[in-house]
Amino acid sequence: MFEMKRSGCGSPEHEIHRRLFLQGSMASASASVASFSGLFSIPAFAESVQKSAKKCILLWLCGAPSQFETWDPKAGTETGGPFGAIPTQIPGVHVSSLMPKCASIMEKLAVIRSMNTEPSEHFQGIDALTRGDTPRPPFTRPILGSVIAQQLGQLDSPVPQFVLLDPCPEGNEFKSFKAGNWAGWLGAEYGPIRAGGDYSIPNLERLDSISDIDHQDREALRKFLSRKYENDQRSESAASFNAAFQRVNGLMSCAPLFDLSQLPEADRDRYGRGAFAQHALQARHLIENGSTFVMVANGMPWDNHVFQHEMHQMLVPELDNVFYQLVSDLEERGMLDDTLVIAMGEFGRTPWLNDARGRDHYPNAWSLAMAGGGIRGGVVHGSTDALGIEVSEGRVDQRNLFATIFSALGIDPYQEYELPGLPTFHRVEGKAAPIKELLV
Amino acid sequence: MNYMNQEKLEPKRIKELKVSSGVLSAAISPDEKRVVSAAMDGVYLTEIETGESVKLYSHESYASSVEWVSENVLVSAGYDGRIIWFDVANQSEIRNEKAHQFWSWDLAVSADRARLASVTGQYLAGGYKYEPALETEPSLRIYDVSTGSLLHDLPHVPSVQAVTISPDGKRVAAGNLMGEVRVYDLDSGALTHQWTTNDFTSWGIIKSHSYLGGIFAIRFAPDGESVLLAGMGPMRDPMAGNGKQLWQKWSLESEKPILLDQTHDGESGEGLMEALAVDPALPFFVMGGRLRGGDWNAAFFDLNSGNRLHTLKTGFRITDVRFYEQGRRILIAGATGQGKPKDEGAFDPFGRLEIYETFAGSNV
Repeated sequence: MFEMKRSGCGSPEHEIHRRLFLQGSMASASASVASFSGLFSIPAFAESVQKSAKKCILLWLCGAPSQFETWDPKAGTETGGPFGAIPTQIPGVHVSSLMPKCASIMEKLAVIRSMNTEPSEHFQGIDALTRGDTPRPPFTRPILGSVIAQQLGQLDSPVPQFVLLDPCPEGNEFKSFKAGNWAGWLGAEYGPIRAGGDYSIPNLERLDSISDIDHQDREALRKFLSRKYENDQRSESAASFNAAFQRVNGLMSCAPLFDLSQLPEADRDRYGRGAFAQHALQARHLIENGSTFVMVANGMPWDNHVFQHEMHQMLVPELDNVFYQLVSDLEERGMLDDTLVIAMGEFGRTPWLNDARGRDHYPNAWSLAMAGGGIRGGVVHGSTDALGIEVSEGRVDQRNLFATIFSALGIDPYQEYELPGLPTFHRVEGKAAPIKELLV
Repeated sequence: MNYMNQEKLEPKRIKELKVSSGVLSAAISPDEKRVVSAAMDGVYLTEIETGESVKLYSHESYASSVEWVSENVLVSAGYDGRIIWFDVANQSEIRNEKAHQFWSWDLAVSADRARLASVTGQYLAGGYKYEPALETEPSLRIYDVSTGSLLHDLPHVPSVQAVTISPDGKRVAAGNLMGEVRVYDLDSGALTHQWTTNDFTSWGIIKSHSYLGGIFAIRFAPDGESVLLAGMGPMRDPMAGNGKQLWQKWSLESEKPILLDQTHDGESGEGLMEALAVDPALPFFVMGGRLRGGDWNAAFFDLNSGNRLHTLKTGFRITDVRFYEQGRRILIAGATGQGKPKDEGAFDPFGRLEIYETFAGSNV
């Protein structure tokens, strides 16, 4: 296990919320086993968790969306595709005509049009753009959600700190990636809880035949015996089981958070009825109720080598609406300043069309967008040339991006990690600079 | 005429032409000397003999369909939702109608050039599993060709991707993403037939949980009593584009349409089929599209037996196939990959037009 040279991010907010968490957890321990409804019964704790702590929602556009049909349209050119461009709130800035809602809140969004990365295949691209760097075996860098959950999450919270909402059990390269080690050197406890669609979390509801008191008594006994065994035997496996039980207990207490049917119908209609939209709403709900990082995916639907325009006609409007609703909801709840929303994939699509009416993989010049959580709105960083073939200004790679994200969230981008016999590693390598104009 | 006994169906390419951008539809002029193409960057007129090509005008997006409605007047539809009437002799626009808020996916003109039909529809998520949302505008619109007046607004479920008018001009048929076909009486606008075939639509299992595919071409048989459909068979991963090259023939003789025939076992490769043409004189039809796996991307089929008669491998994606007025020749249109631009930033032409003699192997 790696050891951090410096502990914590140093953020005053972080210190406060840890202290409040401890107060809250001690108080709740004396009251009852935390249930979801009781979790925020202590006002100071609730206020701290819901409003002060930085959080993040990653709309993971796996498969890689086209920058031409989203944030960097080249309408009327040979590479522009069939969709037009529309003006936004920012004079002179246009987005795809498929994104009218985002165009109307552009002053709240930050767009990077100059992503330039190396991997051009999905697995490697997903790896680099979720971990912030290319692999350096045998070292496994934790993915963004694990780092944020570890740095900003609440220890021992019954609400999962890192949640992956992805209903698609398959997904080619993304499926392979999902089967891998997400938390890396941070350890499995910082890996995600996966839910959504086929991944409903089974058996979370307490049986009717077991009363609340029975349930608490059983858990207390189990905890006492296993802790004793763990201490007496110095057993790591017992510790691991204890951690798992603790997690399940937490999940049981917050099972309603994972039940789409309990979300208001009006909200479900407003977000749209597709799986991605529904889980984006669920992500907002989880963040509101204590999760720190929620990643929303739906397989890898953006990989449109075939039917590029036929698929993007549906996918982009869904993304447009989801992003708009999330940003609007978070702002309305006073949470946008502390909640970073990121919409990105692992690379972009080729400027030129293939013979199957599709666009292929293209890491050379692509786009993504962010909002809230320490990111300045109304900024478009970087640009591409007239046909979108090369970055012409403000090149950004995955290191710059992660330095920006960590900085926005108050996490030290350059924290060091040491393991005997191996070189020193950093949260972001090479002192890669954040994009300053994007930071509040 | 029993062509099988008299002549050998042996298509031979006699002309290869290029258009600057991908061609989505093409039509032979009444004098058979020119081809008009609906291409990604506009509408082009090409002299068959010389190969000389000029851009007539542009839509605000891709031009998706084009038809001649008289010796010198053509009508085109585009992904801008517009239908444009254009006088080729005078090089001037006659009429420009905003028919749809979304694309015109396809346009058909009746044999007597009196009416035209255009179909639209944006596929938007209507349910958790991406069932298509209901239409927000009429999916099928019928216009009077000479006046441009709207005759009918007819409902369907988006996206409606293919349309055709029966040879007698009495019926219009349109097929959608979900494999649903609706047939309307063109005079009254009454729905006469409605059915769904599940054989052209995929629900993504591997990469994406959404629908993809559907009916990409539709044509009436000469008797007007049966309909041919084309597309691609279902796949676990629709984005692989490796579904079966598929046609189906449905009878409209009863109220409930009946599947008469479809691509025979062992006669298909893989790839999306998006073009159908029925020979005006002889009992066969051509289906074309993209080659993903196998050894052909256009094939001739016997209209009665359904047997495959001949295959072609064009080396580009076929988007349209047209027979000459008297048969015996076909025009195949399409696109190669766009490719990277040259150093100066210009792309090589990637639209393709090819003309074939269908009975080149006999003494025609």
